[in-house]
Amino acid sequence: MQARIRRQPALPLLASEFGESTLHQQGSGEYDPLFLITKLGAKVNRVIVAGLIERLEPRETANGATIWQGQLRDPSGLHYFSVGDYAPESMRELIIQLSQRIDDGETIMLMMTAKARYFQNDEGAVFTSLRPEEAAVISRTAYRQWLIKAARSMLGRIDAHEKSITSEKSIDGLATAGIPENMIEGILLASEHYGEIDVESYRLNILQTLDIAEDKAIITTPPVSSANQQSLSVENEEEYATTEEGGEINQTILDLIKRLDKGEGVDFDSILNNAAARGFDRDSAESALDDLSDDGEIHEPRFGWFKITE
Amino acid sequence: MSDNYDAHVSEVMKQVPEADPVKVAEAFARYEKDFLIPPEDAIRSVLRRFQTETGVAPVTQSQGSGQKQSQPAKKVELLTDLSADDRNVEIEVQVITHNPRTTMVRGEEKIVPYGLLEDQPWNETGATKNRWEYKDWGNSPNLMPGSVVRLEGVSVNEYQGKMSLNINQSSRIAVLKEGVRTVVTPGEPVDISSIKSDGTVSIVGRVLVSREDVIHRKDGSGSIDVVRGRIADESGTIGFLSWEPFSHEVGTLVKIENAQVRVFRDTPEINIGSSSRIEIFHDANFSSAEELNAQSVSKIEDLRDGSRDVDIVFEIQKMVKRDFTGSEGESKSVWSGDIADPTGKCRCSIWTEPPFNFEEMPVVVRVKGARVRAWQGIPDVTIDNADQIEVLAGAPWGSDIDLSNNLVEVKLSDLTTGASRVGITTKGTVVSVREDSGIISRCSDCRRVLRDGECATHGRQDGVQDLRFRLVLDDGMSTISLILNKDSSEGIMEMSMDQIKNIISENGSMEFIQSLREKVLGRELSANGRTIVDEQGAMLLSDSAEIVDLDSVMEATEIRARWGLN
Repeated sequence: MQARIRRQPALPLLASEFGESTLHQQGSGEYDPLFLITKLGAKVNRVIVAGLIERLEPRETANGATIWQGQLRDPSGLHYFSVGDYAPESMRELIIQLSQRIDDGETIMLMMTAKARYFQNDEGAVFTSLRPEEAAVISRTAYRQWLIKAARSMLGRIDAHEKSITSEKSIDGLATAGIPENMIEGILLASEHYGEIDVESYRLNILQTLDIAEDKAIITTPPVSSANQQSLSVENEEEYATTEEGGEINQTILDLIKRLDKGEGVDFDSILNNAAARGFDRDSAESALDDLSDDGEIHEPRFGWFKITE
Repeated sequence: MSDNYDAHVSEVMKQVPEADPVKVAEAFARYEKDFLIPPEDAIRSVLRRFQTETGVAPVTQSQGSGQKQSQPAKKVELLTDLSADDRNVEIEVQVITHNPRTTMVRGEEKIVPYGLLEDQPWNETGATKNRWEYKDWGNSPNLMPGSVVRLEGVSVNEYQGKMSLNINQSSRIAVLKEGVRTVVTPGEPVDISSIKSDGTVSIVGRVLVSREDVIHRKDGSGSIDVVRGRIADESGTIGFLSWEPFSHEVGTLVKIENAQVRVFRDTPEINIGSSSRIEIFHDANFSSAEELNAQSVSKIEDLRDGSRDVDIVFEIQKMVKRDFTGSEGESKSVWSGDIADPTGKCRCSIWTEPPFNFEEMPVVVRVKGARVRAWQGIPDVTIDNADQIEVLAGAPWGSDIDLSNNLVEVKLSDLTTGASRVGITTKGTVVSVREDSGIISRCSDCRRVLRDGECATHGRQDGVQDLRFRLVLDDGMSTISLILNKDSSEGIMEMSMDQIKNIISENGSMEFIQSLREKVLGRELSANGRTIVDEQGAMLLSDSAEIVDLDSVMEATEIRARWGLN
């Protein structure tokens, strides 16, 4: 008997695909892994995700313990995560540090590995969330490289999904259609549970993801030279980031409005969400919008909608 | 009367106290021996019989005679979800082994196959699968090794705490996936390369090597004459061990029916015993011994612990002579070397004076009939006699390939499933930085890591400080533990060991781990080194590693082009 318990691999997964999952699978054994099955048929136990921290708040539980709940924004949407007593000590310490940095007005990009969780309420609605295992503050360069991996991973599943539509829904049928062996079970489970799905929104997520991954306007963080190793500490990098970002955010917002404007302007929320996905927090994006309006570079034809001034 | 009816007899006695326990046991025995109905399935019939005989009205009037009405079908995925008294079970399993066994029933031969089956046949996540034995009382033609079947109406048998499944004559067996492994049909030869796991096979092949050997019984009660050798067809070669006289000469084409496959270490081998049949086979088109010999030259990546009669060409890159004293006080020497071919690196041991100057390396040799042992998972080509070695003038792969720095690129998921490898390079995403990364103390004698300042063998000491990072690499399908040695740890962190030591003593190890995570978590890493693959999983010991900087803009452009996204 093969008694080896293997570590579950981590999937680079965009928030939209994860958040829309409503199917789970778990064996009956005490240590059997839990999997969420996404609409595209990914079997998810562990993920590696990245994005901008949007909210991070402590919540007291009934027994007096503290659970930190947070949101991580990537180009496709939000991941919800919570760090409680069960989390590794290093994770709990990091979260407290991060919350202070956010309170101090810092914008934080985080990479994290996490376990997939789900919760089903009385009405049967399924809510997915993440339990972080390890996390680290990352540079934009690392974020963009992660976006590439997440996009590739999702494209692979869209491709397999499309091949599966016209094939017989069986192991042999999908194998004949050229679907990799390790994806077949998830696709069969997904097709049984979700039926026909719309992949168009996922395609849009990928386009947004690639836009951000190749955004040439975004600066890279400085290499940490060994002579200047103390710059590992927070302050130096922070200083660097804020000085460079001032003018950059205005340009990014102008680009966004130009790209998203379908004739009647772009609404406030879309601008802020897209800016956030590019690593600018809401407050600085909002003040940049004000600045641009004051400078007359953009105008507000009706309340909450912005256009570039011709 | 057999003990294993006790539980069933007492069950009957509970309901029909007037019955004679001996007669009840006899009834069970008769059902099992004559009708091939195991006691747990026979219990209702027996119960009814004694209820009628003793005049006790049946408690519940069972409709009809079958089990199906009396007990609803229980559908499970895991064997462990079953309990000893489950009947009419439905489960999907993979048949692992299938051994037809003939038993005499009332002067008649009946075949009751037995073997192993495994649950969760579709689960490919590496989750632990359960294996149970089964007995197929119906001798269904649908049970083939390797096939995935849905069993309906089978029952659980518990005997001395061991659970097994009874497939009854009335059970339904639906084949969901045909067997892909070696199929046990005597007379239907299989490709030698398809033989991977234990079972019974028939093959047609040419004898390439054959020599007499003697096996000494471990308890010292004597020895057995055997014949060992190697046999090949166009698909591959396999070693054989014949417990019966085997006089076919090298080059003879034979058909071997009903041979047992045993896996020795990591290598399958054919056992020819008294139930096997060997006959001369005639096929004018079958490859000649020369052709088969030529194609059966191994490459380093193919070597597995336990392989025998290996023919291989490799370059010896470094060789040292080691002298030691044998168990009987005589002085012995062994020449051990690092060897390489274009598919990888490993080691060799020569137990006799080599026919070349071992101090002048490299040398390219052809070796015949070598054995393969493995130490820490690394294959070691073992050569006993100088006449097995032929020194070649040049390498057959040409002089273009410089093996001294040759790193073979292997996909991460191939590393985790294959044998241990040396001289490889692989890529993956860092998904974990273990918190014991950093400065460690090693035992000054054996280099093992000290736990609380103590070595398991050499006791309390100060030890020698060393630097090491422990990470996990992941390619989305498999994971491997990655251990970076001092040099590669320093390289990744872009700091010297002393600098790292200072940072840890100033800020604490947690701060340091966190700064390491900021550097590598989620990043693509390429690592060179050797792997150890065993029951604990796969481990890559790396002496050099670097973060791969993906060019996101280029990658995005490439993705857009490939998938037509604009």
